[in-house]
Amino acid sequence: MSTATTASESISLSRILVRSLKHRRARSLSALAALTVSAMVATALLTLYADLNAKLHHEFRSFGANIVATGAFTDADIHHAREAAGSDALIAPVAFAVAATDRGTPVVVAGVDFAAMHRLDNWWKVDAWPTGTTDALIGQRAAGFVVNETAVTLTYAGQPITLHGAGKLSTGGDEDSRIYIPLPAFTKWTGVQPTVLEIQVPGGEDRVNTTIATLQHTLPALHVEPVRALVAGESRIVDRTHALMYGAMLLIALTVAVSVLATLSASVLERRRDFALMKALGASQIQLIGHFLLEALVLATAGVMLGYILGSALAWAIGEMNFGTATLPRISLLPLVLLLNLVIATAAALFPARVLRGLQPAALLKGE
Amino acid sequence: MFLRLLWESFARQRRRKLLAGIAILLGATAVTAMLGLATTIGDRIHQELAVYGANIIVYPKADTLDVKVGDQSLKPATGGAYLQEKDLEKLRGIFWANNITGVSPELTSSMRFGGELYALNITAPLKGYWFNHSFGPIKTGAPSLHPAWKIQGRWPEDNPNAPDQHEAVIGVSLATKLHRSVGDVLYFPSMSDLGLKSPAMPFNEDPPLKVVGIVSAGDETDNHVLVPLSYVQWKVGGYDNIGWNGISRVEISARTKPEDAFARRDPDTLSPKDRDVWYCRPYANSIAYQIAEAIPGAHAEQVRQVEQSEGTILERISGLMWLISAAALLAAAVAVSAAMATAVLERGAEIGLMRSLGASKGRIASLFYAEAGLLAIGGGACGYIAGSLLAAILTAKIFGEPSGHTTLAHAFNPVLLPVVLALALLVAIAGSTASIRGALRMDPSAVLRTGA
Repeated sequence: MSTATTASESISLSRILVRSLKHRRARSLSALAALTVSAMVATALLTLYADLNAKLHHEFRSFGANIVATGAFTDADIHHAREAAGSDALIAPVAFAVAATDRGTPVVVAGVDFAAMHRLDNWWKVDAWPTGTTDALIGQRAAGFVVNETAVTLTYAGQPITLHGAGKLSTGGDEDSRIYIPLPAFTKWTGVQPTVLEIQVPGGEDRVNTTIATLQHTLPALHVEPVRALVAGESRIVDRTHALMYGAMLLIALTVAVSVLATLSASVLERRRDFALMKALGASQIQLIGHFLLEALVLATAGVMLGYILGSALAWAIGEMNFGTATLPRISLLPLVLLLNLVIATAAALFPARVLRGLQPAALLKGE
Repeated sequence: MFLRLLWESFARQRRRKLLAGIAILLGATAVTAMLGLATTIGDRIHQELAVYGANIIVYPKADTLDVKVGDQSLKPATGGAYLQEKDLEKLRGIFWANNITGVSPELTSSMRFGGELYALNITAPLKGYWFNHSFGPIKTGAPSLHPAWKIQGRWPEDNPNAPDQHEAVIGVSLATKLHRSVGDVLYFPSMSDLGLKSPAMPFNEDPPLKVVGIVSAGDETDNHVLVPLSYVQWKVGGYDNIGWNGISRVEISARTKPEDAFARRDPDTLSPKDRDVWYCRPYANSIAYQIAEAIPGAHAEQVRQVEQSEGTILERISGLMWLISAAALLAAAVAVSAAMATAVLERGAEIGLMRSLGASKGRIASLFYAEAGLLAIGGGACGYIAGSLLAAILTAKIFGEPSGHTTLAHAFNPVLLPVVLALALLVAIAGSTASIRGALRMDPSAVLRTGA
């Protein structure tokens, strides 16, 4: 009898499998649901985790420039700096001069490209960004030393210039004591070239340090410094959030894994009767475990397929809701999630096998 | 009878109950830990953001304009308006006094180097600060408000024991320029340096400074000479003007609530009721407002670079934690439901037997629900404890332990307990409902005959 069974073993194994999954539909579905959820959570968390650094560094860009280069430079130098910093960096040249207001008070006047400053210093509180070529942005403290804010007359080395005060600026820093005017007007008026390059590179400490090294190499005449408090603080917070996320991920993964394990092994345990019957019909221990294993692995793979899609959708939704930018699915995570699920499924199938081995088929079938 | 059935069911099926219980326990642990993290993450990240330094800046209302470009300050060293150092004590009387975590007054003068260095013709800004100064219960000063400053050596003593030994810290760029390091002494120009033979008028030579440390700040401080505040007050106020305690600027770091639309309102335009609400919230704006009220002649301003950006980052990170908590809740719910469903499904025979012995469907269902409820409450309570501890350990590991915040009492958030228990009950009952109904629908005789 045993030879007959082994002859058609390959067919009967797949048939047993299909029938066993179909016959216990409720049970199979609940196991599939558990495995799908575990794959979904793993996919969503891993996808978010992989994308976390980029997302957080992006948020930190609202703090403004993270590299400052000082020295005398030409337009060609600015061009070189732009190339060195990369296409995703923001660069704003700033020129400074000390002029006298219409009250005769000395004031720092800065020549800037307002469009670049607006993007770089998003945190500035400005009631209206200047747009015209003779529009000025007046720091709130400087405003107290200007008689007429709509027509500000400044004098530099005997040269007067009259600007239209378009908006007021309030930052709580040095900027409050300055008057910002468009760079072309500034250079024409004072003849002073920009001496400060404010640079913002996206990314953490490593990226900042690499950029500084490149800048120093290409423009040795400049003095390039990181905005240290910013760079260090950013790295700290990104690292901590990263660690927190990692902890959360492990915790959730563990919870789901153990719950899935519990569900799956309960469903295997409960089929002791099948097990006993098959054993009585001459199936070997290996064949039986193989059967349980195969069943679990088929469910696990199906769970990964479903879970990967659902998890990617979940990560996308969380990214969109929280950061306003989508978190794209990462296909590279699929093998990892699959491996994770297969490990859970294998453990779930093998764990009860030890318990089953000790049971006597005869006793079980008799109903003891 | 009902209670006995319940008891027997737990006593006889210990392993299965354990499996379902573990699923609930772990789910509750994960959810409690995530909720615990999500509710405290804001404060923690906020503390981390303190590295950006002061978030409120105070200066005299009648100040002259800062004429400062990079490290060159053209502001006259004297002639500006000053605040009084002794008025800083009044900060401890304001409504949000306990939220003030750091105070750093500043007074600027300049130092022309004498002796051997006279020929170099270098003048550096001389900055008077507090260093590790006692301010009520806290020790504060410039270094604590600038965590990015790195010191080699040590900070000067606020009150040197020897009255003739004055200590200073110099910036790293200045140290290179002067070829001076820790242990060297810096002199002010003497009469002979200035080429004065006999004093035409009384000549007070400023006492020399001993370099006790070199600071690297990465900004203009690298070119400064940093000394205790009293030294600069003495130099600026005049040697015969004992007790002059002017300061030109104060940096304050305060624990604040991230700015929202209400915080940006001008308190003077609010209705009296709204104004009280605004005043009693720890916004940087309202703390600055109170500081300006407390210190005569002061203008206080929030440092927007810190405050403004902080709000967004806090929002994003805590938002992320909340969403992940929601995902954890979902996962735990499905896992627990699956475990509960399994626990009911395998008891078809038992249900069949009870039905054939005359138990009503409602009675059987209530027995199963009672079991699920007991498991949920037990597992949920244990999960709450485990999760709270886990969250506390995780936070302590990741963020370090801030003083007075890691006692066990802080680990448990009592609000979470009913939330977690309710969630556990809901999930356990909802998870078993489908399978209980399914099992009750089965024909008892069929179930009993197949003996499944």
